[in-house]
Amino acid sequence: MQKIPLMRATAGMVLARDVFRNDSPVGMPVCGRHTVLSDTLIARLGNLNVTTVYVEGHPVWEDGDRSLEEMLVELDRRFEKVRNDPLTLKVYEMFVDHLKRSMGDSGGQQAE
Amino acid sequence: MDNKRSELKKIIMDTKTLPTLPGVVNKLNSLTENDKASVQEMARIVSSDQVLSARILRLVNSPSYGFYRVSTISNAMILLGIDVVKCLALSTSIFEIMEKNSLGLWEHSLGVGVAANLIARKLSLPECEEISTAALLHDIGKVIISLKCSEAEQLIRGAIQDHGMYMRDAEREIIDTDHAEVGGWLAKSWFLPDKLSEPITFHHDVAQSGNHRIKTAVVHIADALIKASGFGDSGDCYVPQIQQIAWDVLKFDERLMAEIIDELEDKLVEVKNFSLELQGSDISVD
Repeated sequence: MQKIPLMRATAGMVLARDVFRNDSPVGMPVCGRHTVLSDTLIARLGNLNVTTVYVEGHPVWEDGDRSLEEMLVELDRRFEKVRNDPLTLKVYEMFVDHLKRSMGDSGGQQAE
Repeated sequence: MDNKRSELKKIIMDTKTLPTLPGVVNKLNSLTENDKASVQEMARIVSSDQVLSARILRLVNSPSYGFYRVSTISNAMILLGIDVVKCLALSTSIFEIMEKNSLGLWEHSLGVGVAANLIARKLSLPECEEISTAALLHDIGKVIISLKCSEAEQLIRGAIQDHGMYMRDAEREIIDTDHAEVGGWLAKSWFLPDKLSEPITFHHDVAQSGNHRIKTAVVHIADALIKASGFGDSGDCYVPQIQQIAWDVLKFDERLMAEIIDELEDKLVEVKNFSLELQGSDISVD
């Protein structure tokens, strides 16, 4: 999942969170998660003064963003003291799965 | 070595040397003993201190509790309970220091608060708000150590960097105690209820927790998850071993854990935004 300015949103991206007016965390969403963005929809969101949206995967790359490989290396390092513990290792594997799913080539969409 | 430990304990138990306790808290303490005091009455006392009220409301509206838009102290007291509001009033000075001096630890604490709240709700545990509060407070010992033993703290940081140690091990080696124990002393000197002080004291050793093992287990696992996600900075970057007893006492299963890990990332984006907003709009009412 990535938070991007609406200006960087393009048709085909998938919303990862509900979009609310004025970035308000409560109230009625104006557009639901899992919606595939289209040019018209992006323009409408712009008219509603929405400035940022959360999209699936990691479609927009900026300088300094870490790749999946880099994130996995860091994850590995954080778990380096507990690799021999079966329970903690299980949780490690869940984090690896999670990262792969949210950053994966599938655009981060979960296979359901 | 042992001297340092008792010296530190003395400093902490002597509340005069601690960051100032809001006078309002004393008033509140005397009121709660009087059963007839209404929530409105207590809220009026807290509201009389505007800086304190602003800080409490800010915490109540943090993602750690998941309410949003709680705009009055009396609403906060009804939603979170008087104990929790009192505890937040007590801790505002510590949180303030954290926010100013160690943003990484502040973010770590907020993150653990959110993770604990998520776990408690998923497992439908009672007293979610107390669990979130204990999680927010679990590392207060670290703030006290850096305030009261700044030289030792440098050594601790050095040991972590040079030898790749857990902060807790480095603390034990250098000051013969650790942040969990120090946090526990502080909780005692503030007369925090056991349901808050136990998770603080035993978040690294769940088996030691007797009366509130479930709450302690939640804080223990929430801490490990936040360290695993690399959110904030708690002093060292190493994920602690997740204790089997914590997993068992909460009757965790893998499916549930996977769900929590997925949802946590979503929530952490909120926490980051919350923390950034705080820095941007810092309410320097004082």
